[in-house]
Amino acid sequence: MAGHTMRLKVYSGTGLASESILLDLPSAVATFLMDQNEPRTPAVAVASGPFVYIYKNLRPYFKFTLPPLDVNPLEQDVWEQAKEDMIDPLTLKEMLEGIRDKAEIPLSVRSLRFLAQEVQEMESFVNLHKGQPIKRQTVITCMSTLKKNMADEDAVSCLVIGTENADVLILDPEAFTILAKMTLPSVPAFLDVMGQFDVEYRVTVACRDGNIYILRRESKRPKYCIELRAQPVGLVRVHKNIVVGCSDETLQGYSQKGKKLWTVYLPAPLMTMSLLDQKSRGFQAVMVGMANQEVHMYRDKNLVDIICTQDVVTSICFGRYGREDNTLIMTTKGGGLIIKILKRTAVFEEKDTSLGPPMAQSIRLSVPKKTRLYVDQTLRERENAVAMHHVFQMDLYRLRLMAARAYVKALESSLTPITSTLQEPLKMNAVVQGIGPTFKLTLHIQNTSAGRPSINLLVSFLYDQSLYSMKRAFFKAPMLVPGLNYPIETFVECLSDKGISDVIKVFVLREGQSTPLLTAHINMPVSEGLAAA
Amino acid sequence: MGLFDKLAGWLGLKKKEVHVLCLGLDNSGKTTIINKLKPSNAQTQDIVPTIGFSIEKFKTSSLSFTVFDMSGQGRYRNLWEHYYKEGQAIIFVIDSSDKLRMVVAKEELDTLLNHPDIKHRRIPILFFANKMDLRDAVSSVKVSQLLSLENIKDKPWQICASDALKGEGLQEGVDWLQDQIQAMKT
Ligand SMILES: Nc1nc2c(ncn2[C@@H]2O[C@H](COP(=O)(O)OP(=O)(O)OP(=O)(O)O)[C@@H](O)[C@H]2O)c(=O)[nH]1
Ligand SMILES: [Mg+2]
Repeated sequence: MAGHTMRLKVYSGTGLASESILLDLPSAVATFLMDQNEPRTPAVAVASGPFVYIYKNLRPYFKFTLPPLDVNPLEQDVWEQAKEDMIDPLTLKEMLEGIRDKAEIPLSVRSLRFLAQEVQEMESFVNLHKGQPIKRQTVITCMSTLKKNMADEDAVSCLVIGTENADVLILDPEAFTILAKMTLPSVPAFLDVMGQFDVEYRVTVACRDGNIYILRRESKRPKYCIELRAQPVGLVRVHKNIVVGCSDETLQGYSQKGKKLWTVYLPAPLMTMSLLDQKSRGFQAVMVGMANQEVHMYRDKNLVDIICTQDVVTSICFGRYGREDNTLIMTTKGGGLIIKILKRTAVFEEKDTSLGPPMAQSIRLSVPKKTRLYVDQTLRERENAVAMHHVFQMDLYRLRLMAARAYVKALESSLTPITSTLQEPLKMNAVVQGIGPTFKLTLHIQNTSAGRPSINLLVSFLYDQSLYSMKRAFFKAPMLVPGLNYPIETFVECLSDKGISDVIKVFVLREGQSTPLLTAHINMPVSEGLAAA
Repeated sequence: MGLFDKLAGWLGLKKKEVHVLCLGLDNSGKTTIINKLKPSNAQTQDIVPTIGFSIEKFKTSSLSFTVFDMSGQGRYRNLWEHYYKEGQAIIFVIDSSDKLRMVVAKEELDTLLNHPDIKHRRIPILFFANKMDLRDAVSSVKVSQLLSLENIKDKPWQICASDALKGEGLQEGVDWLQDQIQAMKT
C-alpha cells in the first residue's frame, strides 16, 4: 500500500509488517515476480516521477529510471550560446519563447522554469544552470504487469508503464531493459494488460483524451479505439470484455473489439473500480466504489451485491490475502483499511435491476408452427394490401359520418339530458321507484350555470295514454337556483296488467318555445304488482 | 456385544471405541494436536497440510479414539459434513494468533452447529484455542467471545488453551472429552 503520506506499508493479517519512506509521491504500485528463485516472493514496484523503485523482501532493491527524451537541437544551441556568454538572458528568453511556440519537440523543464523567472533573477538562473547539459525527462502515469511467457499464477512478469509523453513501455523483469515501446495519441491514465509477452498480449489503455485504445503485440499503434462520451475514471477487463467507468456516473461494457454492449447508470460518482475474480468458481464481477459510501458489484450490467462502508472507498483490491483466496481489501478516504473475506458458501445471484431490456426478453418463446391457413392469409394480405386498406378506410368514414349525424340529430332535438344552449345550462336525471302498478318518478333537475337562476321552465311528460296515467303530465318547474339539486316527484300509474312496459319521455321547456331544452327517456320497469282496481 | 467383549470391557482389556471429528481452519494445528496425543513411538516428525482427511487412532485411560482429521483448506471444507453422522464428539481447533480469520472460523462453526446432522444432538464439542505460545495469540476467553461460544446452549462444550508443539493443554481437554463421552453412554 502506498499513500499520500509517502510511505510504503506492508500488512500481514491485521497488523503492519513493515513501513518504508518513499522519496516522492507514488503514481502506481504493482507486485510481480521478477525471477524463478525459491521461495517465490514477489517484488513490489512503486512508480513515482520518472522512477520505478523495486522492493524485495521488504527492502529497496533497484531503481529504474525512464530513458531521457530527445532534446530540441535549437534549444541546445541557444543554451550553448548562453554558456559562451554570446547572448544575454533577455535574448535567451526571446529565443526560447520562439522555440516554445513553434517547435515539435517541447522545451525541457529547465527552459520552462527559466521562462517563468522574474527578469532580475534570470542572470543568476542562467549562471547556475548553464554548465549542465539539458535533459528532458517524462514521468510515469500508470503501471501494470504482464506475464512473460507462462500463464501460471506464479509466473515471472514484466512491468508495463504508461508515461506522460504518451508512450507505453514494457520492461524486462530481470534486466529492466525496454522490451517494447508503443506510442499512443494521448496520455495514458489507466492500463489493463492481458496475455503473455512472448506469445500474444493485449494492452487496453484509457487515455486523457477520453478514448480507450487497444494495442496488441507487434502493433506500434493502437488497433482499436473506443470514443467515450465522458472522461474515464476506471478500467477493468472482465473475461474478454472491457468495462469502463466514466465521470458521467455510468458504467459501460465493450467487446474486445470496441463494440458497445451495455450501459449502467450509477447512483453516485465513481471513485474507483476493480475486478472481483473468484477463481474457484470462475466468477468474475466488477466492483465499483462510489462517493455515496457504497461499493456495487456488477456482473455484466446486473447488480449482484452492494457493500455499504463507513467512509468513501478510494481503492479496491480483490484476491488472495494470507491464506484466504477471496479477500476484498479496500482503503478509504479517511485513511482506513477494510478487509472482508468472501464466505465459502456465498453465491452471487443475478437480479436484473438495471434499465433496458429485461433478462426474460432473451428467452426464446416456443412459437407454434405456421399453419396453411396462416400462410394463405398472409399471402392474401400481402397481395391485396391496397384494396384492403381502402375498404377499411371507407368503412371507417361511414362510421364517423353516422356518428356525426346521430350527434347532430340529438343536438337539434335536445335529446340529451344536458342542455347544449349556453343560456340555459341544465342537467337532469330521472329515477323510478316502486314495483307497480304505481311508480314514483323523481326528476332531479340542476341549474349548472355559474350564477344565473332559471325561471319560467315547464316540465312535460309524453307517454302512451293507454298504458300509463299521470296526475299531472304538464306543470311549471320552480325557480332553479344555480348549483342546487331540485327533486321533483310525481306518480305514474300503470294501466296494463299484461306485463308490458314502455318509455316515458320527459321534456324541459322554456315558456313560449316548442323545442325542448332537455329530453330524457325513462325506460319504465314492468309492473309487478296487481292493479289496484 | 458378545459375552467375551463385555468381559474384556469389565476387565479393562478392551476399550470402548468412539469416533471423533477434528475440525477447524487450515493451519490451525489439528494434525499437530492429534499427532501429539498418540504414543510417542507412533508420532511423526514432519507434519504437512492434510489433503482431504486422514484417520488416526489413539487411546486414553478408558476409551479408544478414532479421529477423522479433516483438512481445513477451503476447497476441502465441504467434505466435513459427510462425516457428521458418524461423529460422536467434535474437536474444533482455532489458531488463536490468526485474528483476521477468526470470522472465517466463526462462520464455519456456525455452519457446523446449524447442520441437520448436528443441530439437535447433544454432541460434546472440545475447542482448542491453539498456538497459545505465539506472541500475538489472543486468550482462550477472547477466542470464545469472538466465536460467541456462550450461545451454544444445547451441547456440552469446553475450551482449552493449547500449544500443540509442546503438547501443553491437550491432556486437560481430552480428559474432559472422555468424561463427557462416558457420561453420555451411561
Ligand atoms: N507456534 C505454534 N505452531 C503450531 C502449533 N500447532 C501447530 N503449529 C504449526 O502450525 C502449522 C500447521 O499445523 P497443522 O497441524 O498442519 O494444521 P492443520 O490444522 O492440520 O492444517 P490442515 O491440515 O491444512 O487443515 C504447522 O507448521 C505446525 O507446526 C502451536 O501450538 N504453536
Ligand atoms: Mg492437517
